[in-house]
Amino acid sequence: MATKEKEWISIPMTVDVPYRFAAGEYLTKTLTELRDNGRIYAVECPKCKRVQLPPRIVCAECHVKNERWVELALEGTLAGFTIMYLPLTDPTTGKPHEPPFVYGSVRLDGATSVMDHFVDVEPDREKVWVGMRCRVVLRPREERIGDLSDIRFFEPLPGQKKPQPSTH
Amino acid sequence: MTERVAIVGVAQTRFAPKRVDVNYGEMAYEAISQVLRDTGLTLPGDVDNAISCSHDIWDGQTISNIGITDVIGGHLRSEEKMALDGTTAVYYGMVGILSGEYNCTLIMAHTKMSQTNRNIVNNVAFDPIYTRMLGFDYTSAAALQARRYLYKYGLTREDTARVVVKNLANARHNPSAHQVGVVTIEDVLSSPAVATPIHRLDIAPDTDGAVAIIIASEERARQITDKPVWVLGIGSCYDAHYLGDRDLANTFALEKAAGRAYAMAGIKNPRRAVDLAEVGEEFSYQELLWMEGLGLCERGEAAKVVASGATAIGGKLPVNASGGLLSGVPINVAGLNRVAEAVLQLRGEAGERQVRGAKIAVAQGHSGFCGQHQCVVVLGN
Repeated sequence: MATKEKEWISIPMTVDVPYRFAAGEYLTKTLTELRDNGRIYAVECPKCKRVQLPPRIVCAECHVKNERWVELALEGTLAGFTIMYLPLTDPTTGKPHEPPFVYGSVRLDGATSVMDHFVDVEPDREKVWVGMRCRVVLRPREERIGDLSDIRFFEPLPGQKKPQPSTH
Repeated sequence: MTERVAIVGVAQTRFAPKRVDVNYGEMAYEAISQVLRDTGLTLPGDVDNAISCSHDIWDGQTISNIGITDVIGGHLRSEEKMALDGTTAVYYGMVGILSGEYNCTLIMAHTKMSQTNRNIVNNVAFDPIYTRMLGFDYTSAAALQARRYLYKYGLTREDTARVVVKNLANARHNPSAHQVGVVTIEDVLSSPAVATPIHRLDIAPDTDGAVAIIIASEERARQITDKPVWVLGIGSCYDAHYLGDRDLANTFALEKAAGRAYAMAGIKNPRRAVDLAEVGEEFSYQELLWMEGLGLCERGEAAKVVASGATAIGGKLPVNASGGLLSGVPINVAGLNRVAEAVLQLRGEAGERQVRGAKIAVAQGHSGFCGQHQCVVVLGN
């Protein structure tokens, strides 16, 4: 005898909580410099001298207050990357980043930290590699709004070739 | 005041991709009622403290424990929540007993990953001013870590695929697991790319479930069970929040957490002392990385150790005999599940996944992307 499948109720709900996050002293400085002058500023620890991006009030290693600003080059070296096939959501718009796209971690010249952003490169293992030189591509001045989207992406410096075939 | 704390009972729900048949409280009660039955203890009389482990953002409720204080025995009593992985709830529970304040503590972790979207939930872990707007989640962050690790040690996707093959095969012997089976390296390599070098089968699947354990002071433990499992050592440690501050191929936080746990347990050489490990591999590469961070092999050598068969159930140092997170264990619950699986092994109650003669086990849990917070528990029978 066929038995009726038991019914289970689930309530769909989207919890839509609006926030407005204060960037604070350190990130405001970096974001306004980025927007107004197209420059990237990081902080240097007065004690261990490491140069960190994003800038923050305290060096975690030394627990001293960061007070010295360092301008970074707009070029650097790719330390890691991934070719993304997930349509990850941009939380400022609620719209997905259309895959495939490439995320990369670039150590800008002069920085200790690496910076994560999109890399404008074909999603192809032959076109992107650890050690690749990249530069920051900014939006035009009039389109910059003072957040990380003022950087469009990193792009490879021209004239580079992948050093050797990789096995992974 | 006690000097030792024992785990006197463990219980787990089955882990399933989607438990529409239970709400949080009912799911938690499955594990809680089971561990009470197994130990012969009652609530509220026998248990003087309750700790839960869950996350507001995953549960979709502010202060995610406020709706389950009834089932955990917290009504008109104390109940506190640990919003880190379940291993850290053990740490917190143990502190309460060692302080002399409590004698017997129920610890329960629950999460239903099926009720929301992991990528959106995990995106909220990133700095709102900085990288959150790029859409980062745990999988994309893990992909950067995996790439860095493979690059640094010249490893391949085959090396990480062997972890999947081993763990899903082990999971066949685990009645709680939901992702089990005989997969080949080729199956893992050819599963769809999600965030290179991570493919579908390299990722722990979304799952729902709960784990409950009871810990007690030495005196109380001996009254409750003749098979206490002792917490010999425990340690936790944080690394930097921003990915860009860390060399993702390193495991400084895990090394420090493990160092504290081993020192407390009087273990000088973990490779010799540890009989089995349960580690939190949300992604296949993490099993290799965490083995190295736990000092179970040299840096960059874990892939060779796995390939040699040493980490299989019959090997010299079985890792994730349970099938690990790849067999389906919810986030937050994962660490308590590592502890529970280690306890079952040390009690000789692990069924067909039993590691023979196990005396010392290490359980590892972590919270935050790329293992920012680490907690290590050393257990002995």
